Amino acid sequence: MKKTLFLALACTTLAGCTTVKPWEREVLARDDMQLDANALDTALDDHIYFSKEGTSGGRGFGGGGCGCN
Amino acid sequence: MGSPCEVLVESSHEQPAQAVASAVAACAWRIEAKFSRYRDDSAVARINRAGGETVEVDEETAKLLDFADHAWKMSDGKFDITSGVLRRAWTFDGRARVPSPDDVHALLPLVGWSRVTWQRPRLTLQPGMEIDFGGIGKEYAVDLALAAAVACTDAPVLVNFGGDLAATGPQRDGRAWRVGVEGVAGSHIPWTLELAGGALATSGDTYRFITDGTDRRPHILDPRSGEPVRGAPHSITVAAATCVEAGMWCTLAMLEGAGAEAFLAREGVRHWIQRK
Amino acid sequence: MANDKRIGGALAAAACGLLGTASPVRAPAAEPATKSTDGLWDVDTAFLYYGESDGRVQDASLNAIAVRDFGDDRKLSLDLGIDTLTGASPSGATASDQPQTFTSPSGRGTYTTNAGEVPLDSSFHDTRFALNAGWSQPFARLYTFNAGLGVSTEFDYQHVGANLGLTRDFNQRNTTLNLAVAYGQDKVKPVGGVPMPFSSMGDVVDDDVTPPSRSGDSEDKKVLDVLLGVTQVLGRHTLLRLNYSYSDSSGYLTDPYKILSVVDPVTGEPLVRTPPPGVEGPGGVYLYEHRPDARKKQSVYGELRQDFSGKVLSLGYRYSTDDWEVDSHTLEGRFRFPVGESSYLEPHVRYYTQTAADFYRYSLADGAPLPEFASADARLADLDAYTVGVKYARQTTGGNEWSARLEWYRQTSKAPAQTLIGNQPGNVQMPDFDAVILQFGYHFSL
Repeated sequence: MKKTLFLALACTTLAGCTTVKPWEREVLARDDMQLDANALDTALDDHIYFSKEGTSGGRGFGGGGCGCN
Repeated sequence: MGSPCEVLVESSHEQPAQAVASAVAACAWRIEAKFSRYRDDSAVARINRAGGETVEVDEETAKLLDFADHAWKMSDGKFDITSGVLRRAWTFDGRARVPSPDDVHALLPLVGWSRVTWQRPRLTLQPGMEIDFGGIGKEYAVDLALAAAVACTDAPVLVNFGGDLAATGPQRDGRAWRVGVEGVAGSHIPWTLELAGGALATSGDTYRFITDGTDRRPHILDPRSGEPVRGAPHSITVAAATCVEAGMWCTLAMLEGAGAEAFLAREGVRHWIQRK
Repeated sequence: MANDKRIGGALAAAACGLLGTASPVRAPAAEPATKSTDGLWDVDTAFLYYGESDGRVQDASLNAIAVRDFGDDRKLSLDLGIDTLTGASPSGATASDQPQTFTSPSGRGTYTTNAGEVPLDSSFHDTRFALNAGWSQPFARLYTFNAGLGVSTEFDYQHVGANLGLTRDFNQRNTTLNLAVAYGQDKVKPVGGVPMPFSSMGDVVDDDVTPPSRSGDSEDKKVLDVLLGVTQVLGRHTLLRLNYSYSDSSGYLTDPYKILSVVDPVTGEPLVRTPPPGVEGPGGVYLYEHRPDARKKQSVYGELRQDFSGKVLSLGYRYSTDDWEVDSHTLEGRFRFPVGESSYLEPHVRYYTQTAADFYRYSLADGAPLPEFASADARLADLDAYTVGVKYARQTTGGNEWSARLEWYRQTSKAPAQTLIGNQPGNVQMPDFDAVILQFGYHFSL
């Protein structure tokens, strides 16, 4: 499907991007640059939005279902 | 040095930081020029060319030879700066291979600090023997570079030569420097140590910015027998007061092979060992 | 080496001889102070309060995530949450210009809504416990494997789930590919039993009698999720993540407490009904909703993290589409900047918009044939939501962190025009609301 194709293309072009060497990763290694920097906050938010909106997920796998009203 | 060298200076002014950087770089280049085995004009090359003749060395080289001598005695001969010739036993045919026992045994007569006559300041090697400060040179450079930095500034400084590092103390706000050591099986973030002072050295095939990029390291050979050291860990990181001590602990522990953890624990040395 | 010979002192002396006065920086007895971050529990805890306007839902929860590193990148994480929910939520019935009476879910009593107000069912007081455990470890030089189990329970709902994942690094760890699969099995056991689709809300019954038109005690639901993602380093200061997800739910996907009002086809006003003499019951005709028993969803998600000399901007976008025709866009941004030596502020905004499910109805027309599926749950209508908030955090001297977060959420929904009946256009009242989110957190090591 079109969206998957776009994603695959994006991946291959991105892979050709600059390569950052291990000794150049001092910024990327900082806590606030980690993709799970706000893990607890986003998990709690995702739980709220799961029970108040029609769409959920996409970011990763959360804690699973609830009978939220 | 074969690896990227950096110095971190925590200062709000550029001028002292520049002065420190120049002093540290000068130190690194000087040590490399003087003790590199690869440079024809180095003091080490001059010693190795002597062909059995006695060579008189300067004060700094003498101190390093004294240190190597102490290390040889402390390790019952496992640490030996004349063991470098054993590298001639490896044939490189596109991939590093374990040397054949015959090739290694053929080289053993050229190995052994006991065959060297060292009477400060005169050094006499047997013809065909070589010395190599690879096991202490970089760590020595780190300690000297740190001292040079301290002479320039009061600011917190950390010197890092390819993974061997030393710091004057913690950063201004009291927090320790964060040092990343790449884990055995790798991850985005290296596992982290917090160094608030003193030195760290790492040995092994942990990715320490070695430019040849191969994943496999040559086997470590016991210079007394030419046999590979059994059960050497993947990498060892040691913290000590000075970088030369930390580096020596790493080397001695590697030579203990499977007994590396027990050795360092017995000596009360702060260490982290990774096995594949 | 002789087994009990200690060489530490000799080595220190040798080093001193080598470095001599060139190494003045450390006192003779100095030990380097190093602290390794493995071997400790890293714990993040939070107390969260969520409160909606107008006496609607309020939720208070206590949460903790504890991670322990066993060295060599092997990690165990435990995630525990307890929350209590009180307050009222919209039942799906429409507002009316007359007061309305409804039977409560248990069938034992009734509740009344004033004229002109959106009916809210306030009979929910619920406590939920959730526990998740996860393990991750490398199993070859560039691969990491992870697995997790989760359970949650509340008085009318139970969930059990498991997930597995694999990541692989490329390009000197500049690129990471991630494949993950999750499976969940839920059981819903509604108060009063599972209502039959489109059955009428019945009159009040006695304690030992099941309310009418119930098909059973409980129903099951299964969810399968697959995620394919790539994380790519774009530069020394930039990180990008792209995910594609596919989700397949099947089983009982209906909300057993939600109803639709049956209205007069000309006026659009709810029908009026009189319960039999001596019996309490609904003052109108209300039918229990019915959703399809399958839902397939796909989404793409992208997140960019950019450092600006110590300040970090993160931007995220998600597009989701499913076979219920609920399509949504989510746009979210956070900007973290240091304040002083050991604190930071992080403002946050989020915008969400969705299109209505194809079976969403505002109400049902009396006499018209029933659709195959219908729900008046506003969460399946056309919806817009905004979140604006800020987080403040402060590090203590021990390396722990306190934080506080305050956010304001506003949701507005709209019934698609074609679902309106009679005079309803211009008279529609959707259960829009505001909510405040307040969180206090403490992050520490054990």
